[in-house]
Amino acid sequence: MAEPLIRMQNIRKSYGRVQALEDASFHVNEREIVGLLGDNGAGKSTLIKVLSGAVPLTSGDIFIRGKKVNLRSTSDAIAHGIETIYQDSALVTQLSIARNLFLGREPIKPPRFLNRMDQEAMNNVARDLLKQVGISKNIPPTTPIGSLSGGERQAVAIARAMHFDSDLIILDEPTNNLGVAETQGVLSFVRNARDSGHSCIFIAHNIHHVFQVVDRIVVMRRGKVVADDIDPKKTSVAEVERIITGMSDKEIRDAIADGKPSH
Amino acid sequence: MENHSLLQRLIARPEFGPFVLLVVEVAVFWGFNHDFLSPQNISNILAFTVELGLIALAMTLLMTSGEFDLSVGSLFGFSPVLMWTLFNSGITSLEVGFLVALLVAALIGLVNGWFVTQLKIPSFLVTLGMLLVVRGTALFVTDGFPQRTWSAEGSWLANILVGDFFIGPFRIYMSLFWFIAAAIALGYVLTQSRTGNWIQAAGGNPNAARARGVNVSGVKIGLFVLSSLMASFAGIISSLRTSAANPNSGTGYELEVIAMVVIGGTALTGGRGTIIGTVLGILILRVMRNGIVLIGVPGLAYNIFIGAIILGMMALHSWLERRHQAGT
Repeated sequence: MAEPLIRMQNIRKSYGRVQALEDASFHVNEREIVGLLGDNGAGKSTLIKVLSGAVPLTSGDIFIRGKKVNLRSTSDAIAHGIETIYQDSALVTQLSIARNLFLGREPIKPPRFLNRMDQEAMNNVARDLLKQVGISKNIPPTTPIGSLSGGERQAVAIARAMHFDSDLIILDEPTNNLGVAETQGVLSFVRNARDSGHSCIFIAHNIHHVFQVVDRIVVMRRGKVVADDIDPKKTSVAEVERIITGMSDKEIRDAIADGKPSH
Repeated sequence: MENHSLLQRLIARPEFGPFVLLVVEVAVFWGFNHDFLSPQNISNILAFTVELGLIALAMTLLMTSGEFDLSVGSLFGFSPVLMWTLFNSGITSLEVGFLVALLVAALIGLVNGWFVTQLKIPSFLVTLGMLLVVRGTALFVTDGFPQRTWSAEGSWLANILVGDFFIGPFRIYMSLFWFIAAAIALGYVLTQSRTGNWIQAAGGNPNAARARGVNVSGVKIGLFVLSSLMASFAGIISSLRTSAANPNSGTGYELEVIAMVVIGGTALTGGRGTIIGTVLGILILRVMRNGIVLIGVPGLAYNIFIGAIILGMMALHSWLERRHQAGT
């Protein structure tokens, strides 16, 4: 069997005496969109923070394409191709779209010692990317992020992850506070991202959004992964909801093995 | 969005407000007293303006990165005192004294930056403490008396820094060229270089910048060093020009400099800064000080006008900001 893109094994994370993650194991395959579901406090956010380098794990191993990695900071994770897009997306509102896209990786115009950004190239790439992620409105790449809508900001963050060839894009509640059209936009960026070879982890409270895009659903409860192979095409929303809120393990197995909506 | 006319785009620029204010100011003063635009008066305004201006330029970058520096006024007084003390006691030549003074200033900037970025103490408190330390040192080593300054004329260093000459009827000091060079260089850094992008990001959203691998602490420490160096450089220039080294000089300059920067349109909260705006802000305040005296308003009333200008410009900037946020 092919080695998955990301494999997290027996991850434990405790904050003092509180066990946020207990032996959680989780994987993402190449070109796969995984929906990560769970109630508040189930450990989704902690798992993601560990994977994005934001918090250190207490014990356990993370493998990227079979190679063990040590993620000590968010820049470590980015260097390994893991990009996380949080609700309050990590953009500088005062800077333009193009300047945000290239922040920290600005192309330099020769001669190098002048340290001059190649703003023309930045703007051209930004214009193309905006089209790719489906922003149809004609927004110049020099527009500051501050004057964009929430959905457009998500789009810019996703475009950035796609452009810099992140293997894995983690979207933490990307559809919160978005309008209907904007939500559809974000969902279609996620599909585009997979089509162009990226994997995604998609976290959302709205199960319906998750069902629309993901290939596989993983459910967490009380710091454990309780189901990691739910096929959204063969399972109903109601069943997944029951798994999230908690049922006996047998019932879960039955529900998945059944492979059919139960109503 | 793209079919705004040139005029509209010009008005939307943050520098437009300060520019109008400067034009109005000059017109009013000239209306009251035609001597205001005489070559002699313009030369007078420029001589000291550029010295404060050097500090304001560095402060613009520092404030764009979200920090500010209250210790610049004390360095303005301390550095020449240090240079002249070293020279007068025969320890070093004037040139070496100059370099030592700059080196000490850089070190002070480094300490400021280290306290702010590593100990995570707000720059207001750190640089307020440093203000007292530096000013106190200047007063202590001189017993509070001005230093004897040898008339620096003839020294190549003095010639390079503040040598004066006439262009037509205008008396120009070399410091004007240092100011222009610094304005162009720092304006370039802020708007064209990748460092400028990092400075703005550091002030706008430091966590986002850090997550993208930008060395936010490094950027800020560098700017604290730059700010101290420029304050020291400006103090030495001023001291050479006036042949005076008073441990008390520069008192209160930090606030005047910060006022110049915010009047020009740089955000006090960081993330957005403009060198052109700062140059306008410098001119607005210095022209005001000169013009008020020239038209016969008592010089002591100067602060009333400065305060009113600051309040008015802040109201204008916040109004423009809100209109901008609303997306019009």
